[in-house]
Amino acid sequence: MNRIDAQPTSGASDTDRPLVFDVQGLNVFYGDFHAVRDVELPVRQNEITALIGPSGCGKSTVLRSLNRMNDLIPDARVEGQVAYHGVDLYGPEVDPVQVRRHIGMVFQKPNPFPKSIYDNVAFGPKIAGVRSGLDDVVEDSLKRAALWDEVKGKLSESAYALSGGQQQRLCIARAIATRPDVILMDEPASALDPIATLRIEELMFELKEDYTIVVVTHNMQQAARVSDRTAFFTVEVGEDGTRTGVLVEFGDTSTMFTNPSRKETEDYITGRFG
Amino acid sequence: MTNRSVPTTGDLVAGALKGRRLDVGGFVLVVGLLLALLISMIVLVTLIADMIQQGLPVLAERGWAFVSTPLSPDAHDAGIVQGIMGSLGLMLFVVVIAFPVGVASAIYLEEYAPDTRLTRFIVANVRNLAGVPSIVYGLLGLAIFVKLLGGITGGRTLISGGLTLAILVLPIMIITASEALRAVPMAIREAAFGVGATRWEVIRYQVLPVATPAILTGTVLTIARAFGESAPLLLSGAVLSLFFASPSGATLWDFVAHEKYTALPIIVFNWARQPQKEFVALTAAAIVVLLAILLLVNATAIVLRDRFERRT
Amino acid sequence: MIETRKRFHQQLAELEQLVVDMGEQALEQVVTAVDALTSGDMAKADRVIESDNSLDDKYLEAHRRWLAIAAEQQPVAIDLRMMSVVLHVTVTLERMGDQAVNIAKIAKAVEGLPTNDKMLGHIREMGEYVKPIVRTALEAFVRRDADLARELPVMDDPIDDLNRQMYEDVIGCCNDRPHLEWATRMLMVARALERVGDQAVDIGEQVAFLLTGEFQEFTSYPGHDPEHDAKI
Repeated sequence: MNRIDAQPTSGASDTDRPLVFDVQGLNVFYGDFHAVRDVELPVRQNEITALIGPSGCGKSTVLRSLNRMNDLIPDARVEGQVAYHGVDLYGPEVDPVQVRRHIGMVFQKPNPFPKSIYDNVAFGPKIAGVRSGLDDVVEDSLKRAALWDEVKGKLSESAYALSGGQQQRLCIARAIATRPDVILMDEPASALDPIATLRIEELMFELKEDYTIVVVTHNMQQAARVSDRTAFFTVEVGEDGTRTGVLVEFGDTSTMFTNPSRKETEDYITGRFG
Repeated sequence: MTNRSVPTTGDLVAGALKGRRLDVGGFVLVVGLLLALLISMIVLVTLIADMIQQGLPVLAERGWAFVSTPLSPDAHDAGIVQGIMGSLGLMLFVVVIAFPVGVASAIYLEEYAPDTRLTRFIVANVRNLAGVPSIVYGLLGLAIFVKLLGGITGGRTLISGGLTLAILVLPIMIITASEALRAVPMAIREAAFGVGATRWEVIRYQVLPVATPAILTGTVLTIARAFGESAPLLLSGAVLSLFFASPSGATLWDFVAHEKYTALPIIVFNWARQPQKEFVALTAAAIVVLLAILLLVNATAIVLRDRFERRT
Repeated sequence: MIETRKRFHQQLAELEQLVVDMGEQALEQVVTAVDALTSGDMAKADRVIESDNSLDDKYLEAHRRWLAIAAEQQPVAIDLRMMSVVLHVTVTLERMGDQAVNIAKIAKAVEGLPTNDKMLGHIREMGEYVKPIVRTALEAFVRRDADLARELPVMDDPIDDLNRQMYEDVIGCCNDRPHLEWATRMLMVARALERVGDQAVDIGEQVAFLLTGEFQEFTSYPGHDPEHDAKI
């Protein structure tokens, strides 16, 4: 077995697909609070990478540093390198607005705009300057999000009239509409019922044909079901009581869930320690 | 052997669940709260009923003429048209100045301003300004718009009065608009940022549309507040006279440009000071008109809010 | 830090105990069957056949619980490997019990036939070897001891040797039908005991898998027993 002491890679056959993200030495601070420390995370094309771990382990923070959503939080500071296809996302000339057009995001609670279904999907392309062919973009996005058949007759109706699961798929369609190559999902099914959850998982599986997906989830079984690779984070409590998120282990999902290399991972996923 | 029957589980449960305990404290509290509500309602209803009772004869006798004829020292001819026109003109100023400036300030404070000590200082002071007595604004209007800027405003004109009222309601406007913006869920902003919107696009296309009903409602209520103000106008130039010349068939613009103007609350104030008995009824009638207009304005606010809320 | 899946781990521990019980019983059956054969005690042979019904019941009970745990708890990591091991080991132990039954039935079938002391001695010897190897396998499982498990193939070697020896013995033993019949039956008994030894080694392999997550075939030395290799 090939163990690196800090962050071992459990049996990952990781040379096949090109890297989309190469996170090196990522540290995120909120003011004086050190939220995550020294994260190394490779994300590969057309794969689903799951970030799991207990509350406060920094998995959402890491996710949000991948499309510079952390910029929106006052006094958030990111150190280290987040290379996206080799380009440092935090480089001086990089425009976070452009970053988010390439790296879409789906949030924990379905958050459609209080507008029509059509306008929800069309918003991204519209502000990106797309004028012609909007109808096609909307239709295509809704089809990819497996929502088209349910809404094709009522595109002008309010998005709020949809069920929670449909709203979340609408949010996925909205993210797809700007033609990103990565979709970040922050606990996309945590507010949904079990059937809607399974539909989202199934959808993720279909979407990875065309997109690279990084998903944060509290639900370990969900990570086990949908992802190709899993990164396990945990909270380190310092002597002074400060809590910092660290990456414990990254590897093939099947290996992580049958034979993790680190005891912390095993204890967490088998529920031997909260 | 005793022949006591053993209680069943059902009996025990019934014993535990049934039997209402008298909550005396809670009862007294509810009665007290209701009483407080009743007191304020009774006072209000009495006042309104009194006004209507006194003013109705005048309104019935004079009809439309009461609101369409100008002021006069003669109680039988006196109307309130200058007051209505003056008040409308003042409101126009309030809307044109306080609304855009207030909303713009709120957008800056809520969406752009970094959370620094300076910003917090400004926000705290906006709140304080909203609590400053209106007479102080009257003095401000007198000092700035009537005296200092007299060359531009023409001195004691409706322009000076309008600017004074606009400044008076500006803090309230900012607070209302800020609260409306703050009520827009963070999730909507995140969603918009998430598809690559700039900050302005997020505000323009997502935040403002959601906040608009609350902002409009707040604006209308703010206007209503300004509509009833008299103290600042007394200082910043509204005419306190039983009679002053104004062209018959005057337009709104005449009132704006005209040297002299008055407003509905000023007329009420002035008439109420008159010793003649006839003016008591006139005062009541003017108050009824004032109240009717305020009611109309508030109703507009409610309709506006409902209309917008149904749309989303 | 707290144990968050207590009930699940309790269920798993109970299932493991059931597996150990099965192991004790299977071993007891094998020992008794050999005893019945070598001493000609038909009551013991009947007891083995009778006892196997309750071993089968334990096997079914273990499976019922296994399915319930799998459906309810979705085990992962070492728990998942334990589930896999339990599934494998219960099947192995159930078959070990069947081997005991085979021996007991042969004991009854050869009643009255002429015997051969040398061969009987081999059978008795195999029985002596089988007892510690099965016990060691169970112990390695209970104690999660991979090193102990790795000793099993070496312990299995003499059993395999005796089995081969038995074959030679039978081929040249006799010409008359009753003797031949008895000897052939004894070959089957030796074969059954050789299987029990292999099954003990199997359990040891499962213990190693449980602990390392990697499956390794146990041999005392490479290419020792092609039959053994082909079986897995």
